Amino acid sequence: MVDPKMPTEPMDPPYAGKTGLVGRLGAELWDHLWPWSRTGFQRQRAIQAAGLALGLAASVVWVLAAMGRLDAGAIIGWWFGWSVFEVVVRLGAKPYVKEGPWWGAAYRSATLMDMICYVSFKNLLIGAVLFLSLKSLGLVSV
Amino acid sequence: MSALAALRNLALALTLGACAGSAFANSYEAHLPPELSTSPRMCDYVACADVMPGADSFSERKGQPPYVEAYRSTDGGKQLLGYVMLSTDITDIPAYSGKPVVTLIGMDTTGHFTGVKVLKHSEPILLLGIPEEALVEFNNQYLGKFVGDNIEIGRSRPEHDIIGLDAITGATVTVIAQNQVMMLSGGEVAKQVGILKPTIRPQATFIDSGARPGWQQLVEDGSVQRLTVTAEEVGLPHRGQPYIDLWFGYLNQPTVGRAVLGDGPYNSLMSRLQPGDHAIFIVRSAGIESFKGSGFVRGGIYDRVQVRQERDAFTFRDTDYFNLYGIAAAGAPAFSESAIFIVRSGAFSAAYPWKLVFLANKMDKATGAKTFANFDSEYWLPGAYMEGGRPEIVKPDPVWLKIWKERLVTIIAFTAFLVAIAVVYSRRDTLVRRSTRKNKWPVNAFKYVGWVISIGFVGFGLLAQPSITQVLTWFHALLFQWQWELFLSDPFIFIFWWFIIITVFLWGRGLFCGWACPFGSLSELLYKLGGWVGLKRYQFKLPKPLHDKLKWVKYGVFFGLLAVSMFSMGLAEKLAEVEPFKTTFLVGLFNRSWPYTLFASALLGLSIFTERPFCKYLCPLGAGLAMPSTFRWFGLKRKQECDSCKACAVGCGSQAIDKDGRIDQRECLLCMDCMVYYYEDHACPPLSQERKRRTKAGLPLTPIGADGYYIPIKPVATAK
Repeated sequence: MVDPKMPTEPMDPPYAGKTGLVGRLGAELWDHLWPWSRTGFQRQRAIQAAGLALGLAASVVWVLAAMGRLDAGAIIGWWFGWSVFEVVVRLGAKPYVKEGPWWGAAYRSATLMDMICYVSFKNLLIGAVLFLSLKSLGLVSV
Repeated sequence: MSALAALRNLALALTLGACAGSAFANSYEAHLPPELSTSPRMCDYVACADVMPGADSFSERKGQPPYVEAYRSTDGGKQLLGYVMLSTDITDIPAYSGKPVVTLIGMDTTGHFTGVKVLKHSEPILLLGIPEEALVEFNNQYLGKFVGDNIEIGRSRPEHDIIGLDAITGATVTVIAQNQVMMLSGGEVAKQVGILKPTIRPQATFIDSGARPGWQQLVEDGSVQRLTVTAEEVGLPHRGQPYIDLWFGYLNQPTVGRAVLGDGPYNSLMSRLQPGDHAIFIVRSAGIESFKGSGFVRGGIYDRVQVRQERDAFTFRDTDYFNLYGIAAAGAPAFSESAIFIVRSGAFSAAYPWKLVFLANKMDKATGAKTFANFDSEYWLPGAYMEGGRPEIVKPDPVWLKIWKERLVTIIAFTAFLVAIAVVYSRRDTLVRRSTRKNKWPVNAFKYVGWVISIGFVGFGLLAQPSITQVLTWFHALLFQWQWELFLSDPFIFIFWWFIIITVFLWGRGLFCGWACPFGSLSELLYKLGGWVGLKRYQFKLPKPLHDKLKWVKYGVFFGLLAVSMFSMGLAEKLAEVEPFKTTFLVGLFNRSWPYTLFASALLGLSIFTERPFCKYLCPLGAGLAMPSTFRWFGLKRKQECDSCKACAVGCGSQAIDKDGRIDQRECLLCMDCMVYYYEDHACPPLSQERKRRTKAGLPLTPIGADGYYIPIKPVATAK
């Protein structure tokens, strides 16, 4: 029976039963940063997707490099390529997203679009933090 | 099929529009010869006579900042007509694009502007939305005006001696920046040539404490300041050391001067100064660049450093230079270049703040072109070294703050409107419970009022239509150069975006798109009006399978624009004309060339017959907001029975409810129709059935709970 109260079927991550705030936050943080899982590694499609994604990323990097924007452009290109790769990896390894308030613990299975939204939004935030950090340290010039 | 054909026609119109637009973009990202900003013969590379009518010869660049003299040949020789300046020789004030508008300015010998010509700009709004002629007309307002006048954007205020200029509707930030460029450029040259007299400031009276502070103490109390420019700031790759690292301070003050120079050198220096002269020292402790300049020639001007005090700039010639052989203060850093410069002007006063300015050439890594950039650090002699301490000064408000103050009432009204929408929506349960399937006015009254205000006040009045171009601009600003002042210059868009960010995370994009977006409101209002005037029979929805395919188009548009913007912001801005916002609100349907008018009109016309076609299928902003809406905190309510019941799905204008009764939060525009059903026991089938069952059984109809069901009747055991 379909549950119309959830946009997709409810689905629990492996750490669903974890109690304690610190443990749960730690598990969630790890989940955001580490897209792979044991079961995911067993799927070949991720490897195939990696080739596709990395090729795409390399293309973007080279185009940007050719335009004289290698430093910042290369990072953006690779980050974009990695994000494409991460979507595919997560769909195989951790195919769920959180539903409702971020402080809640409701999860559901992710559609392709859900995963694109999740990865792009998460990586935008991570990318912005990393990029601005590197820029402020003078390691990246634009 | 007719809808598809219409969309195809719109795409054609858009393409034509993009082509038509390019024809008007004369100086948008125009290629300028590199020599224009470097050659002494500036007027060999640009038509200086365009801004100085009657001139037939021009001098080489002279002065600091540079300008050229314009002459007219006469029988007896040459007559000086005025001065021509290149704005980027003088200031790098950025416009909305984050880049300066390169402007050639002519001014006669009495300080009146004779001509203004935009050579190059990067303003997206002037690329397609507003014709460049508008900027030309704006600039023409300066002709004949005196450089020393108080000229501001807005209405004239004779009581405050302020001359107002008409802004360009929809390009306020651009013209505010352009006004600063005009007045600053003209003022700098006018002061050099004696048209404007420098400000005379009261001089400080110094206290000699007799102490000899060390370097660290001088740095800590502010008597010595630092100016560091990194290689990245001038467009060079990171090299592990700064481009230049300067320490500087004011030497006339005896305590500071003796501490820095030592007693002997200080006395010697003071004996060589004339009354009204001021000595400052500069040392370079690190860096790859010289502050004196390798090209300095005897009799010339040091063109890399200057002192600024408010609008007065002080430059140094070779006669203003003394050697600095060493620093006496203990703990001073080692240095590889040093100088003592003398400010010879009564306009300068150590009692007031001043800035050391380092003038550099910034390399544009994309084009390799060099542009002017300046870097500064403020100095204000500590109050302990002056009798009476530091004087009270009132710093003028920054431009963005002036705008906020001038439009305070409107800003409050706008903010109140947005807050009201959010408050009304947060009370949605109360409103939908008061509504019925046949009478949705408790909800719609608020929504329709919101639409009308959004269209009239926000859209046509304030021109505050959020757009994908703003997202692209912010994305690039985040990467390249974030300037809060730039975004604060448009208070309504600034506030609107905070509203959008907050509400998207709370409830999804629906509150903005469905209730507050001016174009979305206009689109749906037209649909409602179409129904009310008898066109309901012609109104249609696309079949759900087709809708489910076409809704992805807007995501393609969004990602396409984002990708294109990485390679060419200009092209992305052109393609962003897929949004009819500029045509509808900023410029006006009948003020643009026909492809734009046709495109916007077609979308609005189509909106009469099908609900929000642009919002559902094309809007890149909607797509961009839909993505984070996936993770909104609070969604709409559903019941288990919704999986088989189609009652609300059939009426969903956004077509956001799927065959299983699930709401697609990315597509939902929060019209609240399904929520009205949710609580209505004559409309929601499970509730209706329960109502009938209870009525038949003679059971009371208890209130409907938050779960959308009657509160269960629990039998209470009778007392024995």
